[in-house]
Amino acid sequence: MDTLNPPLSILQAVRRRDHIAHNAWQVFAFLFIGLALAFTLVAAPSGDTFYFRLATEALIYSGLAMSVDLLLGFTGLLSLGQALFFGLGAYTSALVLKHVGPSFWTAMAVTLLVSTAVGIVGGFIAIRARGVYFALITFGMAQVVSKIVYNTRELGASDGIMGIPVIQANFLLFKVDTAQAPAFFLTVLAMTMGLYFCIAYLLRTPFGRTLGAVRNNECRVPFLGYNPQLYKMLAYVLAADMAAFSGALYPMLRGFVSPELMYFAVSGDAVITVVIGGLGTLIGAIYGSVILTGLKSAIGTYTGHYQIVIGVLFMLSVIAFPKGLMGYLSPLVEKWLAGRRENP
Amino acid sequence: MTGGELPVLEVRDLTVSFGALTAVCGMCFSAERGKITSIIGPNGAGKSTLFNLVSGGIRPSAGTVLFEGADVTGWAPYKLIRAGISRSFQITNLFFELPVYENLRLAAQALESSTKSLLPVRCSARARERVDELIEQFDLGEKVHELAGYLSHGEQRRLEIAVVLACRPRLLLLDEPTQGMSHSDTQEIGKVIRKLSGDLSILLIEHDIDLVMDLSDHVVVMHQGAKLAEGTPPEVKGNPLVQSAYLGLSVHAGN
Ligand SMILES: Nc1ncnc2c1ncn2[C@@H]1O[C@H](COP(=O)(O)OP(=O)(O)OP(=O)(O)O)[C@@H](O)[C@H]1O
Ligand SMILES: [Mg+2]
Repeated sequence: MDTLNPPLSILQAVRRRDHIAHNAWQVFAFLFIGLALAFTLVAAPSGDTFYFRLATEALIYSGLAMSVDLLLGFTGLLSLGQALFFGLGAYTSALVLKHVGPSFWTAMAVTLLVSTAVGIVGGFIAIRARGVYFALITFGMAQVVSKIVYNTRELGASDGIMGIPVIQANFLLFKVDTAQAPAFFLTVLAMTMGLYFCIAYLLRTPFGRTLGAVRNNECRVPFLGYNPQLYKMLAYVLAADMAAFSGALYPMLRGFVSPELMYFAVSGDAVITVVIGGLGTLIGAIYGSVILTGLKSAIGTYTGHYQIVIGVLFMLSVIAFPKGLMGYLSPLVEKWLAGRRENP
Repeated sequence: MTGGELPVLEVRDLTVSFGALTAVCGMCFSAERGKITSIIGPNGAGKSTLFNLVSGGIRPSAGTVLFEGADVTGWAPYKLIRAGISRSFQITNLFFELPVYENLRLAAQALESSTKSLLPVRCSARARERVDELIEQFDLGEKVHELAGYLSHGEQRRLEIAVVLACRPRLLLLDEPTQGMSHSDTQEIGKVIRKLSGDLSILLIEHDIDLVMDLSDHVVVMHQGAKLAEGTPPEVKGNPLVQSAYLGLSVHAGN
């Protein structure tokens, strides 16, 4: 067959490879959307809310997991305190909805402003350090902030903030009531996948590729003409915004926020999610989040000690699938895509 | 020396210490535009440290670096790259987990205006053309998809030079480009370097004395962090100081 085809130029060959790898992720992204819509069709007539709320929660946590993947999988920064920004988003959104006005867009906009500001401050503190020190600083910052929140009466202290009103998110053509589980699920699905496609796009630009260079060999990056500190800062702030963006949806789903949202358990789960789903794949964070949230809920109905089961499953999955679910599945899809191209 | 024209690089009284060790001490020299200037000297003489100082890897504790007449002392490497100074590394320093193509593309990306940094990489036409040129020039066509870490030593050394050239520097610093290479590969690299000079000013650290004598327009000899001698290759070869410091290597080359 090869002899019949004119020889590919280097550029064409490189593009084709790039394209196939990228398309494999896209296949999984669209597959996910398909699965989510199928779930909606099946579950909506039953009038169930429990599973819709659980699925919505999985999506919300997947935004947090994607932010961890942006940092760890694409920039090489292990954040053990990403829940800080998730909780920050949740609290900001809760406060806006409760005290400023029940407006979806105001809550989102204020959240992003606050998370950008806090992200810049946090970034200045954290990105000076590398490797394990970066991880410890992010861990420490989240601990400090969660303890402050825990002890601040104005923020509800250990109880958190309750009684967040049900709101109507206005999307010009239609309105979504957060109390309507299927509709809100679809809204969060759209926002999560929108976030996914934006970040996936960004990772294919020179900006995103430079992050990859930082992950791969940070010392070499300045000698290519880029300031790695600047790129790490941008990645950190972007990840802060992503985590806060997802966190802002949480009070709309559950009607309350609590300091636990900032605890290490949440940060740690986000890292586990990314590793299970496939580090550095972005889409893996979404699948991983569904798996972990589903498992937690399923195991939680039998035993309160679900952390033990999750821990064991995590170890087994890391041993069996060191590249995570997507790392295991995507080569199969790539092969299939490549084969389809050669024999149209 | 041609004289009259502004040197592309001028280093004055450059000094840096690591604790008690003064690795470079009051170093002065200049490099002519479009010429090959070699820095030679025994192990530990401070040659790589001098490169680090000129390329922004470390800041000098005293002295000045003038690039095309402008003071660039203590500039960060990413600024110097944009200004036109690019360097290779004695110990191969690539993105080992990225494909050859991506290594080059990342380096060539600096040619694009920053307005393109948020457009898909396929829009960076100038970078792409540059990468294709380099793949051809360094004969890496069969390896474009290979991860840089999987290349042979010789291929990695070639890629190291190609990456440094990607951003079209005006001054090229090559730190032992032929390190660990076979004799025939060394000759090949020598040819490449000769071809590059002219458009490009080159500063070369090299242990292969024959290659140095063959390629250089001007040779600077370093010893214990300071300049021992300088001149044309024959002048340096004939210098008794150099002969004694350099363990008789130049005497050997002279025979
Ligand atoms: N970052 C550093 N910290 C401490 N000492 C250093 C550092 N870099 C270099 N040195 C010391 O400075 C001296 C000069 O080192 P340098 O690498 O510049 O030598 P060189 O001339 O390049 O030698 P070679 O021919 O072996 O490459 C050596 O004694 C080295 O140990
Ligand atoms: Mg050296």
